[in-house]
Amino acid sequence: MSIMQYNGGSVIAMVGKDCVAIASDLRLGVQSLSITSDFEKVFPVTDRLFIGLPGLATDVTTLREQFRYRVNMYTIKEEREIEPQTFAQLVSSTLYERRFGPYFIEPVIAGMQKTPAGGYAPFIAATDLIGCLNFAKDFVVAGTASEKLFGVAEGLWEPDMEAEDLFETISQTLLNAVDRDAFSGWGAVVHLITKDQVITRKLKGRMD
Amino acid sequence: MNTLVQRFSTTGPAAEIRKAKEVLGEEDDVVDVMGFGNLASGVPKFSIPGVPDPSAFLKMHTDDFADPSCRIKIKHGTTTLAFRFKGGVIVAVDSRATAGSYIASGTVKKVIEINPYLLGTMAGGAADCQYWETYLGIQCRLHELRNRERISVAAASKYLSNLVYSYKGMGLSMGTMICGWDKTGPAVYYVDSDGTRLKGDVFSVGSGSTFAYGVLDQGYHWDLSDEEAQELGRRSIYAAGHRDAFSGNTINLYHVKEDGWKFIGNYDVSKMHYDGPDGRGGYGYDLRVEGKSSANPPSSA
Amino acid sequence: METAFGITGKGYVLIASDTTAVHSIVKVKTDVDKIKELSPFLLMATSGEPGDTVQFAEYIERNIRLYHIRNNFPLRPPSAASWIRRSLADSLRSRKPYSVNLLLGGYDVSTYKPHLYWMDYLGTLAEVPFAAHGYGSYFTLSLLDKYHDPEATVEEGLATLKRCIDEVSKRLVVSPDRFKVKIVDKDGVREIEV
Repeated sequence: MSIMQYNGGSVIAMVGKDCVAIASDLRLGVQSLSITSDFEKVFPVTDRLFIGLPGLATDVTTLREQFRYRVNMYTIKEEREIEPQTFAQLVSSTLYERRFGPYFIEPVIAGMQKTPAGGYAPFIAATDLIGCLNFAKDFVVAGTASEKLFGVAEGLWEPDMEAEDLFETISQTLLNAVDRDAFSGWGAVVHLITKDQVITRKLKGRMD
Repeated sequence: MNTLVQRFSTTGPAAEIRKAKEVLGEEDDVVDVMGFGNLASGVPKFSIPGVPDPSAFLKMHTDDFADPSCRIKIKHGTTTLAFRFKGGVIVAVDSRATAGSYIASGTVKKVIEINPYLLGTMAGGAADCQYWETYLGIQCRLHELRNRERISVAAASKYLSNLVYSYKGMGLSMGTMICGWDKTGPAVYYVDSDGTRLKGDVFSVGSGSTFAYGVLDQGYHWDLSDEEAQELGRRSIYAAGHRDAFSGNTINLYHVKEDGWKFIGNYDVSKMHYDGPDGRGGYGYDLRVEGKSSANPPSSA
Repeated sequence: METAFGITGKGYVLIASDTTAVHSIVKVKTDVDKIKELSPFLLMATSGEPGDTVQFAEYIERNIRLYHIRNNFPLRPPSAASWIRRSLADSLRSRKPYSVNLLLGGYDVSTYKPHLYWMDYLGTLAEVPFAAHGYGSYFTLSLLDKYHDPEATVEEGLATLKRCIDEVSKRLVVSPDRFKVKIVDKDGVREIEV
């Protein structure tokens, strides 16, 4: 039993047309024993930026607190909100600080990045547990159901989906992938991010 | 013509196989009656890997608990239960099969219908249970033909117990309940591959059995009505499907009475959670306590 | 084997824990109090590595007390849970981590809400309506899914707790023979005889 599978849980992020979405399951377990069905793994960083932290549950909480602290310090010092691109680098270096005793988390980042022209462009990224960044144009996955998520996402994702299509796609991808994973599931939550709003929806999932 | 040549030649693949069989001391294909496999002959016979310690060899390649990286993953993780009461025997099982964290199937039949009066449940090695309980069915039928009466549950379970005991240490893995109705009334026997055989009223086997016991023990008494007993069996498997990651998907429910077993139904665990068996309120905790609050503000406020 | 339960009800949290101290195959003591009274409205049940449990519980108890003295008010349950969690999480990556699992029960006098937290030695924290630690959790969580009522009176809550204790006594291989039960509600913390 790997430490990455000890508590279970999965996160996925997808790009759409002028929007991004990030979703996670809600299970917290101790190996085969499920403890609670309201353990959130995706957290807001700014109004247009979210981070998902699947992996060891203690590190989910610790890293969430760590990132909140560092982003607050950044905001105070720079007198502006952190951009997704910058935040991704912050995540990467925070994880690499623990190169020889890592946090057992594989973060997924999703947000709307300011463009030089003044607009916003979708941004997603993921890293491994010691901070190797992976920028993708379509989708990124992590957690105990990552293999299953890859499979379903490869099949369902298309370029330039409108917000509601993206919501449907990410929801179906997550729900169907975790139904094939013993350690993920027990409900799900989806955050749909556009340049001027975030829509958060809880999904009913299989409860076994 | 070619086959005749092959049969007597001393070179070529057919001859190699013949030589290998001689070295291993295996008999020729005489046990395979009419090509129906060796089960049809009545005496099963298995080819054994040609290594000094076959069971250690098997363990090396299948024991994913000790070595997660091994290639052959034997499916496990289950919840099964059976209990005896005034109205017969209730048998309820889940339908999930997992290989590591992967849910390989959600539609496994874990109740094996040995004959119209006998049911066997399946936990542990799926193939082991399926094969040996089918084999038990054959032996039970032969008993009927020889003795002009149905085999008792005690005898059938003893037959299976002796059989798996003869393979002890070779890697068989089964935890099963043999349930039925005979001259003595309803009967449940627990039989496993260690050779344990126990008669009893309430049994649950598998990774989710503890969760099933939690609900089953609290709701169980001898004088349950048929409906209450079926509900208890269903509710207990739901409880295990809910809390145990390796159990779930659907529930299969059987009821054994004097005139043999009857299949009551197949129920989706998630549907039980949200809607319940008759659509009148699900089993789920969150649904049951919806709108309730443990806050206790002063009544004047 | 070590077992602890916690259940919430209308305006209270009940915490129950076994009372045995085991060394090797011997029961050394059978009336150990494993439920610490951290503050006027906070209870903490500990289980895990002998030595660690008491040392960690006392460290927490004294720091919670210190906070109370310095600020003239105690930490509220959610804040206390966060601080205790962080203590465990930091300890996990230290040279000698504490191996202590906790149930934290508290009553928040300003919101009139009872709080129950499940926490393990890694620093995993979850707020739950009912909780269990040890092998007992494998038998009782399913039971509580069916029988727990967040609006139960103290009498009803104790009846549910009794179901859990009975079930553990019936099925667990080496079942604890005695349980100590404490309650926290608007009147503070106290022990209840069962």
